[in-house]
Amino acid sequence: MANELTLSVNGANQVVSAAPETPLLFVLRNELKLSGPRLGCGMAQCGACSVLLDGEEVRACITPISYAVGKQVTTIEGLPAVWAMQKGLSAPDAAKTLHPVQQAWIVEQVPQCGYCQSGMMIVAVQLLAKNPNPTVAQIKDAFTNTPPSPHLCRCGTYTAIIDAVQRAATAMRAGKQAAR
Amino acid sequence: MTPKIKASSELPVASVTILTPLTAPITRRGFVKMGGALFVSLSIPAGLSLHAAESPTSLDPSVLASWLEIHSDNTILARTGRTETGTGMSAYYAHAIAEELCVRPETISLVLGDTDRTPDGGSSAGFLYGMANVRKVAAYTHQALLGLAATQLGVPISKLTVADAIVSGGGKSISYGQLVQGQQLDLKIPVTGTPAKVDPSSPEGNGGAGPGLAGLDGFTVTGDPPTKPVSQYKVIGTSYPMPGIPDKITGKTQWTCDVTLPGMLHARMVRPATLGSTLISVGALDKKQYPTAQVVTKGNLVAVLSPNEWEAIGAANSVAATTKWTEWAGLPGSDNLTKAIRDYKWGAPSQSKGNPAEVNAALLGARKTMSATYELPYVRHAPIGPFLAVADVRSDGSVIVWTHSAQLQGLRAQIANTLSIPTDKVVVRWLDHSGQYGRTTFGGDGAEADAVILSQLTGKPVRVQWTLQEDLAWSSVSPGYVLDLKAALDPNGHVIAFRSASYTPHQSDARLLGAILAGMPCCLPRPGSWVATESPFSAWSYDKIPTRLEEAYGMPNLAAESASGGLRGNIMRTPGQRQQNFAVEGLMNEAAASAGADPIQFRINHTTDQRLIDILNATAKAAGWEPRPSPHPRARKTGNASVTGRGLCIVVRNDAYWVGIAEIAVTPSTGAVQVTKFTIGADPGKIINPRQLDRCMKSGVVMGLSEALKEEVTFDKSKVTSTNWTRYKILTMEETPEIKVVQISRDDKGFGGGSEAANALGPPAVAAAFFDATGVHARRLPLTPAYVTTLLKAQPRTP
Repeated sequence: MANELTLSVNGANQVVSAAPETPLLFVLRNELKLSGPRLGCGMAQCGACSVLLDGEEVRACITPISYAVGKQVTTIEGLPAVWAMQKGLSAPDAAKTLHPVQQAWIVEQVPQCGYCQSGMMIVAVQLLAKNPNPTVAQIKDAFTNTPPSPHLCRCGTYTAIIDAVQRAATAMRAGKQAAR
Repeated sequence: MTPKIKASSELPVASVTILTPLTAPITRRGFVKMGGALFVSLSIPAGLSLHAAESPTSLDPSVLASWLEIHSDNTILARTGRTETGTGMSAYYAHAIAEELCVRPETISLVLGDTDRTPDGGSSAGFLYGMANVRKVAAYTHQALLGLAATQLGVPISKLTVADAIVSGGGKSISYGQLVQGQQLDLKIPVTGTPAKVDPSSPEGNGGAGPGLAGLDGFTVTGDPPTKPVSQYKVIGTSYPMPGIPDKITGKTQWTCDVTLPGMLHARMVRPATLGSTLISVGALDKKQYPTAQVVTKGNLVAVLSPNEWEAIGAANSVAATTKWTEWAGLPGSDNLTKAIRDYKWGAPSQSKGNPAEVNAALLGARKTMSATYELPYVRHAPIGPFLAVADVRSDGSVIVWTHSAQLQGLRAQIANTLSIPTDKVVVRWLDHSGQYGRTTFGGDGAEADAVILSQLTGKPVRVQWTLQEDLAWSSVSPGYVLDLKAALDPNGHVIAFRSASYTPHQSDARLLGAILAGMPCCLPRPGSWVATESPFSAWSYDKIPTRLEEAYGMPNLAAESASGGLRGNIMRTPGQRQQNFAVEGLMNEAAASAGADPIQFRINHTTDQRLIDILNATAKAAGWEPRPSPHPRARKTGNASVTGRGLCIVVRNDAYWVGIAEIAVTPSTGAVQVTKFTIGADPGKIINPRQLDRCMKSGVVMGLSEALKEEVTFDKSKVTSTNWTRYKILTMEETPEIKVVQISRDDKGFGGGSEAANALGPPAVAAAFFDATGVHARRLPLTPAYVTTLLKAQPRTP
């Protein structure tokens, strides 16, 4: 049965009415109208639906909303604010900024169809939070061997993703240096 | 919805001198108080009516068909019936328009695909044809604008120059916007072509046996308006970014899956194992557990719908568990694919090129011949996002469908045919979604017919989302191939005659799945196969092989004798040539090895085509290729330590020359094959956008290596069994090698295709590298550990 639950999504509390076992993905998309995370396999095998839950990547297609209660949910729509906070930007500057991972994805022209790329950027943000200067092997490992499955791209943008992660890493190290 | 072109940097401003006079007349619709515009639309040939104005869901026909609008604020709206498939085509269309009009691309907005808002553009695949159209449209428009400017400025056209939408001459200047200010102007552009329609007598319908889908090429602009010489290009040849990327990155893009309509129902389909099974009884729906859900059935089409998506999913799973279907076991099983293809009673080839008598005489008379059979499994497009569509069949009989199809007019005609309504009652709108890779090029559907039929039955807008399992079982597939090749060699091992025969189920089954299941009117598939190396897209490059015969045999779908016909065969990126080239390049590599020749030199010895020779040499240099024959002297087929090899192939397609060089490591004891580096070279004539081509080349390599190493649609006698990502495996990031790109641009060779062909390089190059490493020829794909270990155990080492 549908319950009222409060979720914290991209820094704002949202009251949603849904059965507690409903996967987070359907609530984010259909109730909160966030179109960044998308349905791929529906069984945690591809990563198109990935979001951050307290900074850790989860597959929203199999994560019940009850599990997300009390945790911070971040989608690509919320990445600019994450960066603005890390960098200590003023509110007007924050409104104009993009997360360095997003900026790098644009500069490196990563997406082709782009369907998987929201999930790819989520992995990149998580990786760079833990390892600010990853090698190519470490990037490949993070996108392939982190449970529950590899992040898959059918258009074949893997090399562009690697380039973009390295570009973002450089920008973030410089950005954080400047913020100190 | 409208992909606005955005520039990350200012581009150089164009400036050219135009020497030729106006070639199409402008008419004045009237004066307007504010704004003003020049509308560039189609001059429809006599006898061809679009009936657009009769449709309540269509706009004014002149606007409907307009290609370009030049606005008084110097912005330009461009419309094409083609869509963005992820390879950057939308950027190329804007490039071509900007180049001819002498404007900056970022002043151009694009409307793509929508059948009520764009002129019929045909299939979205093959952007060259689409670009040739928009270039002519822009060229005609440019001439018309120059004519207006000549009148306004009192300066002859021959004295005018244009830069950044400002026409100058005789010390005076005026912008395009000022030229149209306060006026509404029409420019009609001559076109030919017939709209897509379901034709009862079309040869597309299994050779005229029933209704076929005809007219998939869209309109072609006729005449030859003066176009800008390549030497004066300012936009084409620069690395302009692909439109739409920033919105995809920030989450602003509206995708097909984001369409929501008031009162819309979410649907999940309940399917049998294959088309061979029919419905016995529909499972029970527990209304207590799923109070808002409903089951809808028509023929063998079964769906569960609810306003709540999660409830629809749960209810559909529950209904599916108790729904009963007849048993059917008509498929041969994927392990028996080659035998099933061999067992088909083949008649004459669908297409044949060359002289059989000459080739057979050359083969009989040769002192040495070599022959080989190559086998390819069924593979599939397998996008990350399964098929999805939203449809609204309204009470007034009009229909609107949101789709990510790459052939909207064909889909529109098929939907009208299925619903038995006039085509002009149907509007199909395009939005971004997961890639198609060719699976909708012929106007076939995914979830569209499901959605239309369910909306008609429920009277509500319906959104149908396929599951991954459903997509991997039910979407159309790229069929398996068996290819027999034979070559005659001269005493030096040079190939002097060549014969190939390819056998495959057909690849043009664009029937609407929902219509088949619901038992509603439906087209028949197009029969046959074709010789890819001689298609309009491709060419035979080994012109020093004087005698050859190529035959392509096409059979109906596997198990076509069943009620609805087994697995629906369809084209996939680089169709026909991808498969046939695997065998041709395989035999060329085997012949090179047999002659003890370096594979690059061996190819150079068989061609006089300097473009091929140049790209071979440039790619070899970038790869650090050391001339020697294969296999490597240290090749081995046993042991726990890995052994390395390198291999090469070419493909010539769509006036573009491609070379692929694979470097791999094989672990004989485990059968593991890792591609460590791939060098890819392309000469597509004038490169339109080096950056976008680079992207297409690298991603094509990934797709090709995926096919080489991993992909196979498996099936038993009654169903497809590779229905998730652990069973239909595709390449991961970890398995992706370093990819090196070589590009040659030529100003004097026109435009060649860049978005296809790259994926055809992986399989033959990897197979050649495998032979180099192990001394064993791999003539079947994919090179999985299981197949490789069997192969290495079975074969004696070739010299």
